[in-house]
Amino acid sequence: MRDNVAHRWSGLILVVAIAGCAAQPPNGARDLHVAAPGGINIPIEYYKLENGLKVVLSSDTTAPTVTIGVYYHIGFRIEPRGRTGFAHLFEHLMFQGSGNLGKMEFIRLIEGNGGVVNGSTRFDYTNYYQIVPAHTLESVLWAEADRMKALAITQANLENQQGVVKNEVRDNVINQPYGGFPWLSMPQVANENWYNAHNFYGDLADLDAATLEDARAFFDTYYAPNNAVLVVAGDFDPATARAWVDKYFAAIPARAHPARPDLTEPEQGEEKRDSYTDRLAPRPALALAWQVPARGTPEHAAFGLLDQILLQGEDSVLWQRLVQQRGYSSGVGGGINLLGNQFTYDGPMLWMLYLIHDPGVTPDTIVADIDAEIARIQNAPPTADELERALTKIRAALYDLAGSSTRFGLLDLLASFALFDDDPARINRIESEFRAVDRALISEVARKYLTPVRRTIQVVVPGRPAMGATP
Amino acid sequence: MKRATVLLACLAAATAVAATRESPPPAGTPHEFRLPAKETLRLDNGLAITFIDYGSVPKVTVLAVIRTGNIDEGEDTWLPDVAVEMLKEGTTTRTAADIARAAAEMGGELGIGVGAEQTTAGISVLSDHAVAAVELVADVLRNPRFPESELPRVLANFERNLAVARSDPQSLADEALARLVYGDHPFGRVLPREGQLAGYGIDDLRVFYERNFGARRTHVYVAGRYDRAGLEVALRKAFGDWSPGPPPSELPARVAETLQLALVDSPGAPQSSVRIAVPVPDPSHALYFPTTLMNSLLGGTFGSRITTNIREDKGYSYSPGSSISARRGGALWILSAEVTSEHTAAAINEVFREIDRLQREEPTTAELDPVKNYRSGLFVITNSSPNGVLSQLAFMNLHGLPEDFLTHWVANIHAVTPPQVSEMARQFIRPERMTVVVAGDLATIGDSVRKLPQLERAAMP
Repeated sequence: MRDNVAHRWSGLILVVAIAGCAAQPPNGARDLHVAAPGGINIPIEYYKLENGLKVVLSSDTTAPTVTIGVYYHIGFRIEPRGRTGFAHLFEHLMFQGSGNLGKMEFIRLIEGNGGVVNGSTRFDYTNYYQIVPAHTLESVLWAEADRMKALAITQANLENQQGVVKNEVRDNVINQPYGGFPWLSMPQVANENWYNAHNFYGDLADLDAATLEDARAFFDTYYAPNNAVLVVAGDFDPATARAWVDKYFAAIPARAHPARPDLTEPEQGEEKRDSYTDRLAPRPALALAWQVPARGTPEHAAFGLLDQILLQGEDSVLWQRLVQQRGYSSGVGGGINLLGNQFTYDGPMLWMLYLIHDPGVTPDTIVADIDAEIARIQNAPPTADELERALTKIRAALYDLAGSSTRFGLLDLLASFALFDDDPARINRIESEFRAVDRALISEVARKYLTPVRRTIQVVVPGRPAMGATP
Repeated sequence: MKRATVLLACLAAATAVAATRESPPPAGTPHEFRLPAKETLRLDNGLAITFIDYGSVPKVTVLAVIRTGNIDEGEDTWLPDVAVEMLKEGTTTRTAADIARAAAEMGGELGIGVGAEQTTAGISVLSDHAVAAVELVADVLRNPRFPESELPRVLANFERNLAVARSDPQSLADEALARLVYGDHPFGRVLPREGQLAGYGIDDLRVFYERNFGARRTHVYVAGRYDRAGLEVALRKAFGDWSPGPPPSELPARVAETLQLALVDSPGAPQSSVRIAVPVPDPSHALYFPTTLMNSLLGGTFGSRITTNIREDKGYSYSPGSSISARRGGALWILSAEVTSEHTAAAINEVFREIDRLQREEPTTAELDPVKNYRSGLFVITNSSPNGVLSQLAFMNLHGLPEDFLTHWVANIHAVTPPQVSEMARQFIRPERMTVVVAGDLATIGDSVRKLPQLERAAMP
């Protein structure tokens, strides 16, 4: 019963798909505190310690568990030049030992207390999270503070994790048909700025070149309390939790960290085309990408609705045309930020869509179908029904997130809004931000952003002959 | 309505730390955990309905679990998959586009799936739309149109998915394992032969549907927040006059019990996909609980012995792990690992060493107690969501498990002793009964795997 594997990248799925609600107490009299007429209403306490650590507490006693996350504002795209893959390798090193916990002891502490533990590396953050029985919260806070205080790794442990990470790359990219397509492959072509366009998983040679010195310097530079947020969500007493957070985290000194690099992407003025051969792929695949409007603007909210209308769900116009009517593939995937959602990053971002298709169809044929659907929205705003359906899908996804017993989706949004917006309460305004969007703006955003000259088309050429009817 | 209270006996984690270092603060008092209320009723036509009253947000899941799947396909591999996919292509009153739009208007998406022994059709929607969700699921299950016009497209999709599966070393390893373990049983054929899919016509799908769908095989689960009385009326109306149909079929799998080895060539592969399987008790058996705990300690958790050894010590593999696949009458312990090609034999040897060590020396309570805590904690996490409870109940119903399976779960885990864990390893994880599959670059692997002492006598079918 393998329920958890540390460090697994979670793949390509965008929106929370399955409802996960917390337990109802036996008397059934609990208020639906997360269900308000305007959508979700998550309780939030937000404050900062003197050392700059941001803290978000969200108390909810429906299930006797608590979810804890520490998010550091250092993701794979911000890692230093010449050290591709280092942010992710470093995530592994955070499990290899700290001041009071040896290798494997962090994991044993969590699992031995009845919890699950994991970490992941994304564009702009690296996170470490646990879901544990409520009465073990203090132990977890102590342990997370321990590894924020000091890293204690050996050369042997570094080399061990270099081996593990190279195997992770083989698992997820090299030894799998369509491995890394398009979440890893597309940014390297569609983006111009090195930070957005390098190999996020890391070149194997760069991974081999990493030293203990690099690891110490990386820790000192980025893993400071003033570059992080601690989120605690679930069944706990807020006053007690606050006291524990003070006790374990307040004494960790703040450290100066460098300004984040300039992540700006130049405005694209010409369509880009790329193709590569995949040794294991039996059929061609196609991906398209466009830069999306800046996060936090009304255009960004409008683009989120555009994404719902065009691409999310089997009712979406592109699914209906490409899958249902044309039969190019069994599905079309994509969205804003394939490794999270439209709120969980901080910088430029691509909207992508992708599918695997048969050799009898050319990419240009499929692109023409996509263009036709985009043109419809560009020429006339979506109907009121289309917009309402998009809003309904968003509302359902937000409820799933608020009601999930793992609270991982909640953690991601609270941490992102704290780290990137200094405003975790924004989670309760997501629905109203979308509801404020005018239908005309959706059309305008489609006209401005989804043009041929602003897009990148990537084609995967099968490296293995397609299987025909002959035996 | 039955309720059960399970107090978690979680100990403070006994992490071995040197005296000079700080120890983690002790855990507090466990909070009370109650399994959610549930209630089951059966309609005259045999259809069962279970209400699970649970959740803090206005959402509800309606899921029909039908006792059919690949077990009923005979030699027509994936025929159930094609038939069930075609349910989404339209009912007598709705097109595929109508279904997708109606689902989205409720805040959901119709999900269907075919498993080895169970098929599901369901949707999770905003609670306001609970009745409409029931009507949609019933319509799709009861009134399929099987439009001939859509079949070529659907078959082309399956052909494409099959081509991808056949080029994926991991899926080829899984296929070879199933073939060796289950032989001629449908569980032994996980991928269709070339050209086989193209032979499925609309009539084949209809016949499969008629023979395998009906009220007696169907259990509808409703979980979340909803108006109980109103929904019962809707469910009775939507399913009450469905014909009973056949009872569930019985086709117990027989599993291989002699040592065998298959090497599948994947030229140039940088990793080998290693699978090791051996029969174990299924969930209806008294030794199931101790066997699952043995698995957690041996290879089923991140801190387990196999993961610690071949990942955290040797770095051979990223995510090795073992699990118990609970097919009725054919449950297996399966170890899966993707390992660096040049370390293939060394990694398999380490797995055998860990099995041997567990068989020879019982674990200490200091090692076993945290594993029990892990399983108990996971039980709470799993059962703290409507869909988690729902899938547990569906599992219990499939295996014919008693009501107290869940209520005694934590106590059963905590009752297992260290000698029992070693005994389970001795009794079931026996190398002479194993099926071993390695899919990888055979030029690199050479005869290193075949020459392992534990595999020297393996038959190579």
